[in-house]
Amino acid sequence: MNHPNDILGDDAVLSLRGVSKKIGGKKIVDQLSFDVHEGEVVGLLGPNGAGKTTTIRMIAGLIQMSEGDVFVRGSSIRHEWKKAIRHIGAIIENPEFYPYMTGYDNLKQYQRMNEWISNDRIDEVVRLVGLEQAMKKKVKAYSLGMRQRLGIAQALLHQPSVLILDEPTNGLDPAGIREMRDYLKTIAREEGISILVSSHLLLEMEQLCSRVVVIQDGKLVTVRSIGENHAPSNEEKNFVRVMFRVGRLEEAKNVLDSQERAEIVQVAEEQSELLVALRYKDIPDIVAALGAARIPIYQVTEIKQSLEDEFLKWTGGNRIA
Amino acid sequence: MRNFMALVHNEWLKMSKKRSFFIPYAIIAVVAVGLAWALKHWGGEMLGTASDYTIMMAGTTGFGQFTAMLAVIFTAGLVASEHGMGTIKFLLIRGQSRAKILASKYVAALLFALSLIVWLNVVCFAAGAVWFSTDLPSGALRDILITAGSSLVFSIVYMTLGFMMGVLTRSTGAAMGIGMAAIVLSGITIPKNFYKFILFPNANLSVYNHGGQPPLPGMTLPFSIAVLAVYIVLFLGASFVTFKRRDIA
Ligand SMILES: Nc1ncnc2c1ncn2[C@@H]1O[C@H](COP(=O)(O)OP(=O)(O)O)[C@@H](O)[C@H]1O
Ligand SMILES: [Mg+2]
Repeated sequence: MNHPNDILGDDAVLSLRGVSKKIGGKKIVDQLSFDVHEGEVVGLLGPNGAGKTTTIRMIAGLIQMSEGDVFVRGSSIRHEWKKAIRHIGAIIENPEFYPYMTGYDNLKQYQRMNEWISNDRIDEVVRLVGLEQAMKKKVKAYSLGMRQRLGIAQALLHQPSVLILDEPTNGLDPAGIREMRDYLKTIAREEGISILVSSHLLLEMEQLCSRVVVIQDGKLVTVRSIGENHAPSNEEKNFVRVMFRVGRLEEAKNVLDSQERAEIVQVAEEQSELLVALRYKDIPDIVAALGAARIPIYQVTEIKQSLEDEFLKWTGGNRIA
Repeated sequence: MRNFMALVHNEWLKMSKKRSFFIPYAIIAVVAVGLAWALKHWGGEMLGTASDYTIMMAGTTGFGQFTAMLAVIFTAGLVASEHGMGTIKFLLIRGQSRAKILASKYVAALLFALSLIVWLNVVCFAAGAVWFSTDLPSGALRDILITAGSSLVFSIVYMTLGFMMGVLTRSTGAAMGIGMAAIVLSGITIPKNFYKFILFPNANLSVYNHGGQPPLPGMTLPFSIAVLAVYIVLFLGASFVTFKRRDIA
């Protein structure tokens, strides 16, 4: 059921290729590859310490990669950093500004660094994040939510192709989190920008992203499309997991073991149930095989595993904050 | 180049928008005016002209040394505080090379030191003009420029040391402390031959004015300038190499 990790996707705005970071002999990020496509909102999901921030730092060129490379609109971060970084807007960990300057003066700092940013553009991004009233206030008087929004304004100022946010809802209250989600959706729509957003919270990712890249201990665990679970699974080639409640469990197991097209995933003796992984198109044949062996079938149910169950499984459950 | 000046402008604003920015200028003004007043009232006929007062005050042996400390204190945080506040993460992902960013910070620091020395001289001369004669004896202007120039060099040398420490340690306190300690130590001369290759005895170029005695035998103005140049190149070299390679955590 894994989404194909299309290594060759050429409409990718951002591509990681075998990116690793070794510090003191330990691989904090290990051979990570994934893509973010045009207009896509992708989540980088992993428990605390999985290597999300380290990965994002490497994408932005703040730290050097030990192996691999990152491409932004085809330009290599390693070899053409200036060309590549032009397309990236990012907030890494907390948005930090010069607290003794106003919001406007802070944005002016970044305007001076790229001559193509006009005053109109400043006004535009300020409006987009809804900070018009706060521009003349010093940043030290801002709430965390306001600093997050100023951070997004900063990241959008130079009209990048991809916006990278590292745990943007950390420390926000539920209302702030909801607000942030709405802003991101607005931005994705109005700016037509791709977004890579990291989080250790699955629920947040499900509400925001169309795809999640799951990492743990610096390694890619899986790439999944959100909503895939709810999509009709009756595509012939797709694997499904089907629970059979049968009489004569042992015999049923023998029948299924002899079938090459089905694999027993789990056996629940008390309920007399078998969880079987097989292709959708093979379900009738398997039922027929059980029937031919005169095994009573009481129930045939497709089990849709939620992404959360899987996430818990991948990350060992207890480690999620 | 226009782009580089914009970066220097940014750095200047980061210094000047701080509420504490006026403090070094205020200290200099208060001391320059207060001392001129005190000398007039209790110093008898010690000083005749405003230029005498300016040369005495702005020299490296006078208030020029204190001005160097102010320059160190107020530029120590240029790099370190970006790390400390975390603002370095935005600063370094804006498409401007790290070398350019660091160079703009150093240029802003140079401008700051220059502004302090100019201010020191202007305030001293103005205060002197109020209570002493405004006559300019022949050679006085030249002496003022030489004293101011050597005070500026003195400030720049120690400021560059502090700048390097700020880059290497990422700590404003360490940069300040080491820069100030070096200024204090610069007054001590160890009468050994190797010591003339050390930074300290060379930092005050005003000793060579009017055929003055060098701190150690065998030292000359070109020699000291060469030694200072080597140290500044080393300090800046270490700063740039470190800053360019560093992982920004
Ligand atoms: N500079 C470093 N030196 C040593 N270990 C580090 C360094 N930076 C991060 N780590 C370790 O790498 C792992 C991943 O960190 P990080 O990328 O911050 O994870 P995440 O953002 O997913 O929580 C953690 O175990 C962390 O302790
Ligand atoms: Mg993190």
